[in-house]
Amino acid sequence: MRLTKLPILLLLIFCFSGFSAISQTTISGIVTENNGNPILGANVYLEGTYDGTSTNENGTFSFETSETGVQTLVVSFLSFENYSKVADISQLNNLSIILREDVNSLETVVINAGSFEASDNSKVSVLKPLDVVTTASALGDFVGALQTLPGTTTVAEDGRLFVRGGDADETQIFIDGIRVFTPYTPSTNNSPTRGRYSPFLFDGITFSTGGYSAEYGQALSSVLLLKTIDEPIQEKTEIAIMSVGLGLGNTQKWEKSSISINAAYINLAPYIALFPDRNDWEKPFEAMSGETVFRRKFENGLLKVYAAFDATNFELTQEDIDFPEGIHYQLKNYNFYSNTSYSGILAKDWKVFGGASYTHANTEVELIEDDINDAENSGHFKLKFRKHFSNRFKMSFGAEQFLTDFTEDFKGDNINASYAYQNNISGLFTEADIILSRNVAFKLGLRGEYSNLFEEFTLSPRASFAFKTSKNSQLSVAYGDFYQQPNSEVLKFAQDLQAQKTQHYILNYQFTADNRIFRAELYRKNYTNLVTYDTENPIFSSEFDSEGDGYAQGIDLFWRDNKSIDNIDYWLSYSYLDTEREYQNYPIAATPSFANTHNLSVVAKYWIEDWKSQIGFSYLFGSGRTYTNPNEDGFLQEKTKNYNSISLNWAYLISPQKILYVSVNNALGFSNINGYQYSRTPDANGHFDRRALLPAADQFFFVGFFWTISDDETDNQLDKL
Amino acid sequence: MKNLLFITIALISFSGISQTPYQKGMQKALDLWGENKANEAANLFERIAIAEPIEWLPPFYVSYITTIQSFGEKDAAKLKTQMDKAMVFLKEAKAISKENSELLILEALWHTVWVAYDGATYGMKYGGKVTMLYQEAVNLAPNNPRVLLNNAEWNIGSAKFFGTSIEPFCNDVKRAIELFKDFKPEGEFYPKGGLDRAKNILEENCK
Repeated sequence: MRLTKLPILLLLIFCFSGFSAISQTTISGIVTENNGNPILGANVYLEGTYDGTSTNENGTFSFETSETGVQTLVVSFLSFENYSKVADISQLNNLSIILREDVNSLETVVINAGSFEASDNSKVSVLKPLDVVTTASALGDFVGALQTLPGTTTVAEDGRLFVRGGDADETQIFIDGIRVFTPYTPSTNNSPTRGRYSPFLFDGITFSTGGYSAEYGQALSSVLLLKTIDEPIQEKTEIAIMSVGLGLGNTQKWEKSSISINAAYINLAPYIALFPDRNDWEKPFEAMSGETVFRRKFENGLLKVYAAFDATNFELTQEDIDFPEGIHYQLKNYNFYSNTSYSGILAKDWKVFGGASYTHANTEVELIEDDINDAENSGHFKLKFRKHFSNRFKMSFGAEQFLTDFTEDFKGDNINASYAYQNNISGLFTEADIILSRNVAFKLGLRGEYSNLFEEFTLSPRASFAFKTSKNSQLSVAYGDFYQQPNSEVLKFAQDLQAQKTQHYILNYQFTADNRIFRAELYRKNYTNLVTYDTENPIFSSEFDSEGDGYAQGIDLFWRDNKSIDNIDYWLSYSYLDTEREYQNYPIAATPSFANTHNLSVVAKYWIEDWKSQIGFSYLFGSGRTYTNPNEDGFLQEKTKNYNSISLNWAYLISPQKILYVSVNNALGFSNINGYQYSRTPDANGHFDRRALLPAADQFFFVGFFWTISDDETDNQLDKL
Repeated sequence: MKNLLFITIALISFSGISQTPYQKGMQKALDLWGENKANEAANLFERIAIAEPIEWLPPFYVSYITTIQSFGEKDAAKLKTQMDKAMVFLKEAKAISKENSELLILEALWHTVWVAYDGATYGMKYGGKVTMLYQEAVNLAPNNPRVLLNNAEWNIGSAKFFGTSIEPFCNDVKRAIELFKDFKPEGEFYPKGGLDRAKNILEENCK
């Protein structure tokens, strides 16, 4: 009996003695911040073991371990960088450990001179993705929403982005890092154009009004970066019934891939029959468009294929001071755009991005008796690598190629002519992001471009620096050189030119606290090598040169607050602009007609819980724009009256998946004047007659019903409106 | 006979000694959490997660504790740092364990933190996602009271927002309470709480 117990007893004794035989070592020390403050609750442990503890309120720690030999001690704590020390276990006592703050934090200074972001999780974000589509004056156009930001100029009849004294061509648009060559739908010369792409495909928008990254070239004033959604949340079908047309969308999802398809048909004929505008339409604006995005996830990357097609046509007779019977104008435009990109992780700390786009645009215009047929085929290829050395130092470099092939056939009464050019540009860029601490960050970049057409090499340095002035405020400065080829209006006639150049100097101050943001930005922009010519318009017999120059300077202010008043979110933008240039056929340096001195916008949104409604308000003000009065001495010497417009919208949630949306642009019916057209020849008294350039319609009404069908029965299209 | 008893006792006590470090560590971390030492518990779970890269429960608990702590956080910078950490550990757990209803609930809770922080911004963005995650969880584990309860709580919140009836979701909560009575978690250290919360929700919303 007793004997049988013995082995077990022995075993137990052996076990206990075995335990006690293992020697215990004490690991101890103190963990503090840079400034000596102790850190409470940091996790201190030997990597790969269970041995460890949390620091106490004095920052000290102490624990026992039975491990021996060389071990790795790790200290981790939220918003600090991990600390690790490899040493023999006997060396790990009475340690004094200082944790470095993690710069990958919202509290770190952000380089934001010049740029506005619409995203969720960013401190520099001034707009939320929803704003792009809930701003009253924007009518669901992402460009329209950006026009309520400072730095843009009110050119109501155009609809494109005019940034800081630059014309609309000086802003380039990129989708997923790849350039869009023809971003706007055509329109008549008295009604604003819209962006071709539906806003709900994008979940991130960065709008830079200057000083942008070396990755982006061929833009003198501004870039607009759109990022498509990586992964749709669920399968759904969307139906839109609008006063101007119909829309249909469907999203399908699989484990690794998804596809979204949208189609829209817009026809203004019924609207114009009800509310006739100033145009004499023969065939009101009609557009058919389709878009699709396919996404596929791989082990280490994401592939996106985006394609869009649209066809637009209209025909009308436009008023003209020199042609009492009007000018007959007919337009047919076909546009195809596709964009493929892959982004992924190449190896540890290496990221790769590759993308390509192809655009085919065809425009047939009939102007009085002339036929003009333009065809443009363009491509953009880009490859970029990014190396993450640490949270404090990252570097990227890449190469890209732009290809453009343009032809125009002109058939007039007496002339038949063809113009063509090929514009190929190769670019190389590199950029370093350096974060010294949460308070100081730099970005240094360099971009080189070679133009085949001009046989010219340009080099653009870019630099920006940001410094945190207090917990909630920061200063940034930026400098950069930017080059851009002239547009097809010029290149089709002349190719012996130079790239146009701007230099940007920007000083930005930003204060952010508690759902309020204030920004002020001072800038100066110098233009050189602008295209000049000696005729009224660029024509084949003009003498072209690259000798124009100019400047733009001013201040942009922005204030947004969704805290002070319950359920109201509002923002104010004000821009002051002083600009002159001597280019095109200007006899002297003058302020162009697309640039005005003062611009103000006020946007407010009010959520009424009881009515399940959001009411939106926006007010746009632009001071007068210049025009030349040939009856007086001078050039661009007079100004139109100020521009004013108040827009209202109302979105009503009938049920979680049904929304009724109503909007009115220029609700108070201000009569705005965009400029004047003077007759080419004086009348018998030597006086030049004029005609005011009025918008096609002073007001615009929109009614839409949006219905989403999905399994979960809660998703809706509110984010589209 | 006496001998046999002794051996049995010895074996039991022996197996007590031979409890694996993993089991000891997990028990200690759960105990710390039970003593309201959430930070220390999370730290210990984090150490276990690093030492045992094939177990999904340690990263799950790190993420779970961090997510729960983030409800009600008003400081945007702090919230984002915590939520980023919670997401890192959630992803780790998801990489180890697929088709796991607890991880789906946690992912839904993670998104709900953002919706609760700023409904105007995140309600639209994440609302559909949360609903979908719960649906997936219900499909995987239709009789798990924890799935039912969390899903019902979210649905009650949405129904209140849209002004529709919460009646069907109250019934779900009642059903969850019934199911909690015989609830056996799938494995050791699996989360099992929720009965008290279910009773509270019923008390506060469904009268």
